[in-house]
Amino acid sequence: MSVPLNINLQQILIHLLNFVILFAVLYFFLYDPVKKFMDNRIQYYQDIDEQAKQNLQEAENTKKEYLRKLNCVDNEIEEKRQAAYKKISENTAESMLLAKQKAESIISDARKKAEDEHNKILEQAQDEIADMVVAATEKIVLKSGTSESYEQFLAAAERSENNE
Amino acid sequence: MDKDKKIIMIVIFAVVLALIIGTVIVKATGDNESIGELMRDAVLHETNKISLFGLKDVNPGLISAFTVTGILFVFSLIVRIFVIPKFKMVPGRFQLLLESLVGFFDNLAKLNSPHRNKFLGAYIFAAGVYIFTGTVFELFGIQVITTRGASIALPAPLADINGAVMIGCLSYLIILSGGIAGNKLKGVVRTLKEFSLPVSMSFRLFGALLSGALVTELVYHYIHLSYGLPVLVGILFTLLHALIQTYVLTMLTSLFYGEVSEPSHKIK
Repeated sequence: MSVPLNINLQQILIHLLNFVILFAVLYFFLYDPVKKFMDNRIQYYQDIDEQAKQNLQEAENTKKEYLRKLNCVDNEIEEKRQAAYKKISENTAESMLLAKQKAESIISDARKKAEDEHNKILEQAQDEIADMVVAATEKIVLKSGTSESYEQFLAAAERSENNE
Repeated sequence: MDKDKKIIMIVIFAVVLALIIGTVIVKATGDNESIGELMRDAVLHETNKISLFGLKDVNPGLISAFTVTGILFVFSLIVRIFVIPKFKMVPGRFQLLLESLVGFFDNLAKLNSPHRNKFLGAYIFAAGVYIFTGTVFELFGIQVITTRGASIALPAPLADINGAVMIGCLSYLIILSGGIAGNKLKGVVRTLKEFSLPVSMSFRLFGALLSGALVTELVYHYIHLSYGLPVLVGILFTLLHALIQTYVLTMLTSLFYGEVSEPSHKIK
């Protein structure tokens, strides 16, 4: 039986053998080495990319940590400032209280001293008045030299006592 | 234009003119086959046979296949020894060409068969390189002597029906192997559903490459078609259908491979 188009099985097999050899040659000499090189290069750049991403992540974490610490420092400063302000306020209040007490004491002492002085001046004035009255009486008595004068004196002395 | 360029242009023009006159004056020698006989032989390979080392008479396409394999073997060996060890992270022109070639077939395999593609990538790379190089090979017109003593130009390996049947059937077997590896018996059933695939792939390839060869034969057979026209028909068309057939076969193979090797999803 003749095969259409003169297809020859033996020649097909020789063609196949030829192609299998060609396939092996192309695979081992070209396809595989070139593909391996390309895959290695892809891997190399992926590793670099991965490393860069990791470094970026670490930098982000460090930045966050610094920001957190910075915020803590600000809070700490604020707390210390408030504590200092509070202490100053307390000290001021205490000082004012002491000053007030001292002022009150000074005023009280001054008042007492003024009153004593007043009493003393009043006593002196009374004494001086009494002396002046005695002196005047003596003068009057000496001028009139009578019992009438004496009576006047007594009356005056009595009036004076009543007034007091 | 300086003096040297003028001289070169004059020399080229003189050579072209001498060749044109020579082709008209000198008469063809040897047996004068009619165009009908030429075309019939290009399809059936009945008369022009080549002796394979004195063992057997074979179609010229098989000699072309050996020659293409030899050329690719030497090229690959040189590249493997002298070029690949000097590959750089930032590729040069030739490295870029090789990487683009490998990357193209690798990506084609990954795109069409995402589940199983390692072997497929290597296969379509080899098939693609073979089809493209084999088709471009016919442009060189390497002369061989037939068993009848006539001189013929070696055709593309796949313009031989046996070569086209081989690559079509092999692609089908590769698809079948993908089906078995991916889905066991289901994969076999899926592949057998496409029973017309080896025939369609074989004859598509054979028809495309044969038509190119026939048109070229036709153009070169008549002296008045042999000026200028071969530049368009012989080179541009050959390059174009080399690219198209390479893409079609590798794309179809990877597409069917991906289809039969895709894991089946159970319907809930």
